[in-house]
Amino acid sequence: MAKQTVNNIKLGLFVIVGLVLLVISLYLIGKNSSFFGSNIQLKARFHNVNGLVEGNNVRFSGIQAGTVKKINIIDDTTIEVTMQVKKSLKPFIHKNALANIGNEGLMGNKVINIIPNDEPAPVIDDNDLLTTKQRANTDEIFQTLSSTNNNLQDISHDLAITVRRINNSQGIWKLFNDTSISTYVNHSLKNIDNAAAQVNDMAKVLNNITIDMQHGKGTAGVLFSDEKSGTDLKTAISHINNASKEADELISKLNKLTEQTQNDLDHGHGIAHDILKDSLEAKKLKNSLSNIEKGTAAFSEDMEALKHNFLTRHYFKEERRKKKRKANSQDSQ
Amino acid sequence: MDIVSAKYQNTAYQTGEPVITISKLKKQFGKNKVLDEFDLTLHKGESIVVLGRSGAGKSVLIKCVIGLMQADSGIIDVLGKDITTFNHHELDKMRMRVGFLFQSNALYDSMTIRENLEFPMRRHLTNISAKESEERIIEALTNVGLAHTVDMMPAELSGGMQKRIALARTLILKPEIILYDEPTTGLDPITGKEISTLIVEIQEKYQTSSIIISHDMKCVKTTADRVAVLLNGKCHAIDTYDMLEKSEDTLVKQFFE
Amino acid sequence: MKIPGPGEEFLNETGAIARFTGSFVRETVSPRYEIKEFIRQCYLIGYKSLPLIGLTGFIMGLVLTMQLRPTMISYGVEAKLPAMVSLSIVREIGPVISALIFAGKIGSSIGAQLGSMRVTEQIDAMDVSGTNPMKFLVVTRVLAATLMLPILSILSDTISLYGSFLGVNIRSHMSVHLFINQVFSILNFTDILPSIIKTFFFGFAIGIVGCYKGYYSKNGTEGVGHSANSAVVLSSVIVFILDLLAVQITDLLGYN
Repeated sequence: MAKQTVNNIKLGLFVIVGLVLLVISLYLIGKNSSFFGSNIQLKARFHNVNGLVEGNNVRFSGIQAGTVKKINIIDDTTIEVTMQVKKSLKPFIHKNALANIGNEGLMGNKVINIIPNDEPAPVIDDNDLLTTKQRANTDEIFQTLSSTNNNLQDISHDLAITVRRINNSQGIWKLFNDTSISTYVNHSLKNIDNAAAQVNDMAKVLNNITIDMQHGKGTAGVLFSDEKSGTDLKTAISHINNASKEADELISKLNKLTEQTQNDLDHGHGIAHDILKDSLEAKKLKNSLSNIEKGTAAFSEDMEALKHNFLTRHYFKEERRKKKRKANSQDSQ
Repeated sequence: MDIVSAKYQNTAYQTGEPVITISKLKKQFGKNKVLDEFDLTLHKGESIVVLGRSGAGKSVLIKCVIGLMQADSGIIDVLGKDITTFNHHELDKMRMRVGFLFQSNALYDSMTIRENLEFPMRRHLTNISAKESEERIIEALTNVGLAHTVDMMPAELSGGMQKRIALARTLILKPEIILYDEPTTGLDPITGKEISTLIVEIQEKYQTSSIIISHDMKCVKTTADRVAVLLNGKCHAIDTYDMLEKSEDTLVKQFFE
Repeated sequence: MKIPGPGEEFLNETGAIARFTGSFVRETVSPRYEIKEFIRQCYLIGYKSLPLIGLTGFIMGLVLTMQLRPTMISYGVEAKLPAMVSLSIVREIGPVISALIFAGKIGSSIGAQLGSMRVTEQIDAMDVSGTNPMKFLVVTRVLAATLMLPILSILSDTISLYGSFLGVNIRSHMSVHLFINQVFSILNFTDILPSIIKTFFFGFAIGIVGCYKGYYSKNGTEGVGHSANSAVVLSSVIVFILDLLAVQITDLLGYN
């Protein structure tokens, strides 16, 4: 009978060790999947859970915090995920923490990450609903990557063609190789600059004139705007014309005279010859010449008078001012 | 003392009340009719030897009586009740009063002699005290003359000793009827004779009735009050050993030659 | 209906085992309960098998670790060696190797024991001694096998993991704590529970087949050897078939 008892003790030990090992392993697993111990429930709503299943891990800032307990479909765009989270983590999770669905590794299991928010907020309560952040899932990332890749391919293709063309073009290479061009270009650019500045001035003047004209100011303005003064001007100009014609005739006559005189002188006859030969004649010529001088001076006086005429006075004044300004500007340059 | 002469004194019990009445017992295996309307009556204090050839169904007969085999039809009335309709519980009750000695002894070879003898007691008499149990074991072993083997294992004993231990185990419940299945088979003639004598002694001592299966004529002569000849599934003849020995029936005669 | 020889034998045997299982269930639920003998059988079947199953488990864990190591290194995941080995041990190798060794040791011993008891009429003797041999011999052994194999399997898994721990530490260093952490980070209830549940069925099958083969042993001593042999062969095959069924069922239930 004693042997029987010893055997029973051995058997009891055997069974108990086996069961204890089983219980320990179940407990260790349970600890991992938070089957035992006190938990709180948190909820989060997603549009897409990306293949999350019940039992997936929940991480809080990377710490194993619990598991996904239940996944319910609320409506066609909302899926509510209920999580069991260790109670010990409760003081650290705030109401404004974000929940998102991520991967354990690129191809690993899905996992819910609870991300703390920097903003202050009260501590979370049992059955609270966490705000969610839908992160691009891997599929979407891959899709975007793929279209980006396609674009890159097109671009690089075009680039290749362009580069090839540039390579093959001799003209461009010549241009690139010629160093004198740059100086030319520089000069021309300077000239163009000057020209442009002058054009600018001209345009300004023209602008002024046209503005004046529009406002009936200035000579030209008056000329263009006033009919009466216009006709006056006409007659004045025709007078001038006549006067200058007469002056012309006079000059041509003088020319002829000098020619004749020259001839006469050369050949010893004619007036000039006479004059030169004859002091009397020379005196006469002197008188004529002084007369001519007087005549031109008279013309000059006429012209001066025209200047001071109220009609043309403006114009001449303007001309004078302009000349003066130009001289000034050239001086300053 | 002359045992045979003692047997003749026992013939008075032929008129005692019947303890086993077998009538029209049928048992067949496949198409082989082993027992075909077999009839036998065992009276109180009587011992009947069933003679028959090997495979004639002698063992089947007593296994049907003890309920190890289910008879196809017929009635086996043991101690006033038909056991063919018994359930397991009723069979157990009947088996407390009917002992069975197996041909191969059937000692539990994983147990000591004491445990072997304890076994039926513990099963049948659940409230027996350890002291009474030990007393009974010693008594049974003393009856077969092997009290010193109590802590040995069956494998350490010779065939004859094993047979005696088996007999002691059968006796330990003090049955009213004992069924012996070829008690002397596989033993040398001297040991066989010892066993036969032992059977008779026990018969005397405990006033048991018995059915003995045998084809060992020495054993038959020693133990039998009456001899039944089993032939073709039927009880061909039943009478005392001396009468059958003188029988003119050729089928009976062949056993006694 | 005539079915050709082997087929008929096969069907006959299947039906007989099913019937035997049915009577086992009946005898198990009805009193009386052979508790003492059951405990004795638990001791013999469970405790006595521990050294053998522990040894094979230890060697399996060690060998598996050393075999997997080069491959794991070539994939650059040497750190995952404990996880990998523990997963294969707990899910498959532990239960199946334990069950096969158990079938070899217990299946054959039950077959031979009951076979010899049948041949030497010990089973009949029990019946006559007021003991239902189905209860005393079969129910206790089958129940003991059913309940002990899971425990043996758990112990064997543990010893295997110890072997694996040694295997890891032959070439590199890993603390016990990290090893345990690694193992239990990958193990889940769905790894442990189905594999333990299936060992109940393995143990039951081994017990039932061994008992059936022994209980209906024929042809004397030669039959006993045959019983023991066919008990081992049949129960080993059944272990594999059950393993296949188990993986399919757990797969269907989504616990795989």
